[in-house]
Amino acid sequence: MNPVLVLGGGPAGLSAAAELAALGAPTLLVERESYLGGNPQRWHYSLLAPDLRPAQEVMGPLLSRVENHPSIERRLSTSVVRAELRPKGYQVVLKTQDSTETRDVSAVVLATGFDHFDSRRKYEYGYGRYPDVLDFKEVEQMLHEDRVVRPSDGKPPRRIAWILCVGSRDVQVGNPWCCRMGCVVSIKQAVEVRQRHPEIDAYVYYMDIRTYGLWEDLYWKSMQEYGVKFVRGRIGAVTLAEGGSRLIATGEDTILSRPTEVPFDMIVLASGMEPGTGTKEAATLFGVPVGPEGFLTPRVSDLNPVDSGLPGLFFAGAATGPKAIPDAVTEGMGAALRAFQYARL
Amino acid sequence: MPIVEKSLVEVDRKEHLEVEGIDVSGDWNTFLRSRVQTDLDVRVVDWVKGQPQGETISRCWQCGTCTAGCCMHTDYGLTDFNPRYFIYLAQVGYEEELRRYASTIWRCVSCNKCVERCPKGVKVEEVVHTIGTYLTLTGAAAESPADRFDRAYTENLLARGVLDEAALFRTYERLEGRKTPAKKLLSMGLSLLRTGRLHTGPLAHRTRGWRRMRTVLEAQLAEDERRRKGALAPATPAAGGNR
Repeated sequence: MNPVLVLGGGPAGLSAAAELAALGAPTLLVERESYLGGNPQRWHYSLLAPDLRPAQEVMGPLLSRVENHPSIERRLSTSVVRAELRPKGYQVVLKTQDSTETRDVSAVVLATGFDHFDSRRKYEYGYGRYPDVLDFKEVEQMLHEDRVVRPSDGKPPRRIAWILCVGSRDVQVGNPWCCRMGCVVSIKQAVEVRQRHPEIDAYVYYMDIRTYGLWEDLYWKSMQEYGVKFVRGRIGAVTLAEGGSRLIATGEDTILSRPTEVPFDMIVLASGMEPGTGTKEAATLFGVPVGPEGFLTPRVSDLNPVDSGLPGLFFAGAATGPKAIPDAVTEGMGAALRAFQYARL
Repeated sequence: MPIVEKSLVEVDRKEHLEVEGIDVSGDWNTFLRSRVQTDLDVRVVDWVKGQPQGETISRCWQCGTCTAGCCMHTDYGLTDFNPRYFIYLAQVGYEEELRRYASTIWRCVSCNKCVERCPKGVKVEEVVHTIGTYLTLTGAAAESPADRFDRAYTENLLARGVLDEAALFRTYERLEGRKTPAKKLLSMGLSLLRTGRLHTGPLAHRTRGWRRMRTVLEAQLAEDERRRKGALAPATPAAGGNR
C-alpha cells in the first residue's frame, strides 16, 4: 500500500497522521516549516481556552505520538509543488530547498490550516507603528514567558484594552466571517493577565461576545471572578497620546451613546483567522473548490465535513474554516478514517 | 456627523422666535458639541463589589431585562430610571455620567421584579441601592427624604428594640421641617389608640434585655459605617471625566 499523504503538521495533521499510523497505514507527513505543531507551536501559545490548560500539555502528546511512530515518514521544510490524480490516489512532487522527489500516495489529507490575520492591514489601529499595540501572537508569547510589559519601555501596563474582530467581520479587509476564537482567546488572555497581575485593569471592546456553547463559562468567570470589563463599541482608531507614551483608543461607547477617547498602556488586537498560505496553494494544486471566504469547501459540510467530494482527498482542521484545536483534532481522526477506507479499497 | 448624546437632541427644541416681525420659530440650538468620554475609573465598581449587597454587579452583561420590567417605567413612567444603565456606568467607570442620576437612583421601590428576572443572577435592586450609597457617601447625592426616614427609623428602633410609631412620626416631621395640623394629629392619634395600634410614652412596648443587644448592634453599625467610608478613596475631579 502506498503511503497516505498528510499535508500540514498542525493539530489536525498530527492527529490524522497518528490515527493513520494506528490503523496500520504507512503515512507520509509533509510540513513546510522546519518543525511540527503548526500555529500553536509557531507562536508559542500560552494557556488554551477555555480550560486554561498549558498549550504544551495538548501539543506535547500530539507531537510525541507522531515523532515516535515507525510507520510515519516525516518530511519537514518540504512542500508539495505538483499533484496529479492517478487511478488510485495521487502522484505528488515534494520539494525541499535543494531537492525534488516524486511519490505515489494512496490518499491525501489536507490539513493546511490557517494564518493569523496580518494586523498591519487594519492600519487605523497602528499595529507595527506603535510598539504597544500588539496582537494575539505576541500576547500569547508574552504570557508564555510570563512577562507582561510594554514593549516600548519595558514597564508594566496599568490598563490594557482588547479590541475584538480585527480582520474578522469586516468587509474592508474582505473578511466577513467570524473567527470564532477571538472572543474566547481575548477573554482568556484578559483572565491570564488578571490572574497574575490583579492591579492591571482589563477592558474588552466588543460588538458581540461569541463564546459559544460551553465556553460561555469562561466569559462569565472573567466578569465575576476576574473583574474583566466589557465595553460595547468598536474602536475606530488608535493614536498616540500627546506628549506621552500612552495610546488613545477612539471609539463610541454605544451604550453610553457618547464618543470615547480613552488612554491605555497597551492595546491587544484580536487578530482573526484566514485561510493559510498552504491552504490557498493546496486548493490550486488539488483543484479543490473554495468558498467565497477562501477556505476549502467540503462537498456536503453537514453530512461529512472531512470529505472533499474529490477521489481520495480529505480535509481536516482550519483549512475548511476557523476552528478550535479539539475540533481540528477530531477532524484529523475523521479524515484519517476516511482516507484509510479509501486507500485500502 | 459628530456623535452626540441622545438625551441632548431628543428634547423638544421647538422654540418660538420672531425677528423683525418674521416668525423664525423652529429647532434651534441643535449644533451641539459632542461630549467625549476621556477616562475610565474602576473605583466605583471596586467599591460596590466590595459591599455585601453589591457583589453581583460584575455579572451584568447589559441585556436590559431589569429595565424592561422595572415598575418605575411600567407603573410610574419614570424613564430616567434605568437600572441597566446605572450598572453599566458603575461597571465601566463613567462616574461623572453616573452622578447625573444621583437623586433619580433612589426612586427604586424595591419591587424586586428585576432580581426575579435577571438571567445572570444580578441582585439588581441591591446593586442599584449600593451604587446610590456610593454616590451619597462621595457627596454626589443629597440625602433624600427616604434616607432621612431610614435614619429616623433606625434610631427609633435602636432605642427600645421595638418601633414607637408616634415617636418616629414626630422625629421624621422634625427632620423634614413639616408640621401636621394639631387637629389632624389628634384625630389620627385617637383612632390609632382606639384600635390598639398606638404604643408610645407610658404605653410603649419594651424588649427584654435590649440594652445588651443594643450595644452589640450599635458596635456593628459603627463598624459597617467605618468600612463603607474607609474603602472610599478621595474623589479626584479628573476621574471618569469627559470634556
